[in-house]
Amino acid sequence: MNFFDIIGLLAVGVGQTLLVTLACSATGMFIGMTAAGLRRIDFFGAKFLLNFYSFVFRGIPVLVLLFLVYFGLPGMGFKVPPLLAMMLSLGLISGAYLAEVFRGALDSVDGAEVLAAEAMGMSRLQVLIYIELPQMLRFAVPGMVNEFTTVLKYSPFAYTVGIPEITKQAMTLASTTLRGIEVYLAVGILYFAIYRTLLLGVQWLSFKYRVPGFGAR
Amino acid sequence: MALIEIRDLVKKFDDKRVLDGVCMDVVEGEVKVVMGSSGCGKSTLLRCINRLIEPSSGTITFRGQNITDSSTDVRALRQSIGFVFQQFALYRHLCVLDNITLGLRKLRGMSKLDAQAKALHELARLDMVEHCEQYPAQLSGGQKQRVALARALAMDPAVILLDEPTSALDPVMSREVGQLINKLRGENVTMMCVTHDLVLAGAIADRVTFLDKGVIRAEETIAHLSNHHADEQVRAFFGSAA
Amino acid sequence: MSGWGAFLGDVQEQMPLILAGLLQSVELTVSVSVTGLLLGIVVFYFSLSPRVWVRRFTQGYISFFVGMPLIVLLFLMYYGLPQWGVILAPFSVALIGFTFNVAAYNAAYMTTAYNGQDGSELEAARAQGFSRFQIFRFVSLPQVLRLSIPALTNQVICNLKDSSVAFLIQYTEFFARVQELAASNFQFFKAYLFAAIVYLALVTLIILAARFIERLWVIP
Repeated sequence: MNFFDIIGLLAVGVGQTLLVTLACSATGMFIGMTAAGLRRIDFFGAKFLLNFYSFVFRGIPVLVLLFLVYFGLPGMGFKVPPLLAMMLSLGLISGAYLAEVFRGALDSVDGAEVLAAEAMGMSRLQVLIYIELPQMLRFAVPGMVNEFTTVLKYSPFAYTVGIPEITKQAMTLASTTLRGIEVYLAVGILYFAIYRTLLLGVQWLSFKYRVPGFGAR
Repeated sequence: MALIEIRDLVKKFDDKRVLDGVCMDVVEGEVKVVMGSSGCGKSTLLRCINRLIEPSSGTITFRGQNITDSSTDVRALRQSIGFVFQQFALYRHLCVLDNITLGLRKLRGMSKLDAQAKALHELARLDMVEHCEQYPAQLSGGQKQRVALARALAMDPAVILLDEPTSALDPVMSREVGQLINKLRGENVTMMCVTHDLVLAGAIADRVTFLDKGVIRAEETIAHLSNHHADEQVRAFFGSAA
Repeated sequence: MSGWGAFLGDVQEQMPLILAGLLQSVELTVSVSVTGLLLGIVVFYFSLSPRVWVRRFTQGYISFFVGMPLIVLLFLMYYGLPQWGVILAPFSVALIGFTFNVAAYNAAYMTTAYNGQDGSELEAARAQGFSRFQIFRFVSLPQVLRLSIPALTNQVICNLKDSSVAFLIQYTEFFARVQELAASNFQFFKAYLFAAIVYLALVTLIILAARFIERLWVIP
């Protein structure tokens, strides 16, 4: 069995790794955007809760939260499937980080444009959706890329709850072939390849939605 | 009945009376010019009319309705009043065309095609059609001003409020703005313009309202104000650039 | 919630083991924070090299370790190296793996801080006749370190949280001890909640310490 056979066998897990990464990133995006939006429109009492959420979920290790959700909650009467457990741990944690990214990006939106939209007769929600959100997303690109990368790198934890992603495949393969070095090198290369592909995808998206003169300041 | 009737308007920020009993009318079809040095309260006056700032007391009547009371539908009011900002405040993530269609589609519920047709009509009026696909960062100051005007015009407002329309422009472009405002007046657009630019004021109005420390001090022709007004401060202000 | 009394009794009973684990966690965190910073400075120095291939290599190093999961690196050493007869203790594996990983991140922060500086001071130092290394040592590094304090302390917090990963390679740190506790009384939820609270408390301590250091080092 040569090195390429190993990569081929590991590639079976790529789909699951991508699934975990996307599911957790999507959770994080949704939570982060909602949190930043609630903070922006100063929703009653939101600030205190959001600060608490941000503090807690940025202070607990992913693995601890994952175990709490997957192994702990059943004892309280909630059985959580593996992928949902990943979303409730890694996803919620990345949501806390993304909320900060989005908050910073929202602060970069020009106040005069917000005022102009209000002067036009838009509601606070309309201003958020049509003016602040599209600009904010462009400002947030670097932070979002960072966060997706982090999620990808924590996705191997999914093996601890039985999701057959790359690392899980690698552990099986390494124990049957006893060629740990080649197997884990191949794993590293696979993750690196996914990471670079993700970066290319982001670059393509940024190019597609680029606005001349935007982000220059 | 005037389009806008302002009576005894007072605005206090903390203890400072920025507007101190302003009375003024804007008649349909006219271009009302309010002048005064910076900090005299003219921007505040403008923002009270579309309730971007809440007045402390006094009344503003718009089309016969008191808009200062709490039952006023502020968003509906704002949709019938155009506002052009000093720094233009174009939405920089949207191209020129989308800057104009956004309000038509999301506030007026027009279809994309109808909104674009309307936007192109307004751009043609201001000679900006060829720039419709450009983004704000690619435009000169004067071009941004035209887009901001077109964005306001597209909503068919009863009046357009202009806040220092020339302060961010060089003299040549300032003159163009004057010509533009005159052209629109010829098309029966009601406007209220606050400025401290005497050249602009002279170009677009025969008579100007002079606001000082939150009070209207005079309403006269510029020539009269600079030569004959009883108040020395008023003469000094208008004499300085004459 | 019932049974907290019994659970805390179990915690008390196993306290010596739990404390020993906590000590191991702190030991790992402190060690990799120091080695990661030192290697990070070296990597950062090479990233400023006038030689293109040196810069390329350091960029490649940073990019690879930023893009690869830490756990894979740990597994490579822990489960892979024995194949070549190299058997390392869990602590050594964690120390080496974390150091490479953390150094890449720290070097990236420092590069960002460096790029945000204006070049006139460096030019002045060159004009005074300082060598490239002297400029790095006496001008660039002190400024960059101060500018990246927030990022570097964040990295320390990350290190503490990531130290829990080391239990996956049988390093008996705090989280491993909590697992043992949970396995002994089957109170998984309470045990993991307890672990989460302890980590939160430690993170809070680091944040407070970082604020203190920042105030000490402030540049007028």
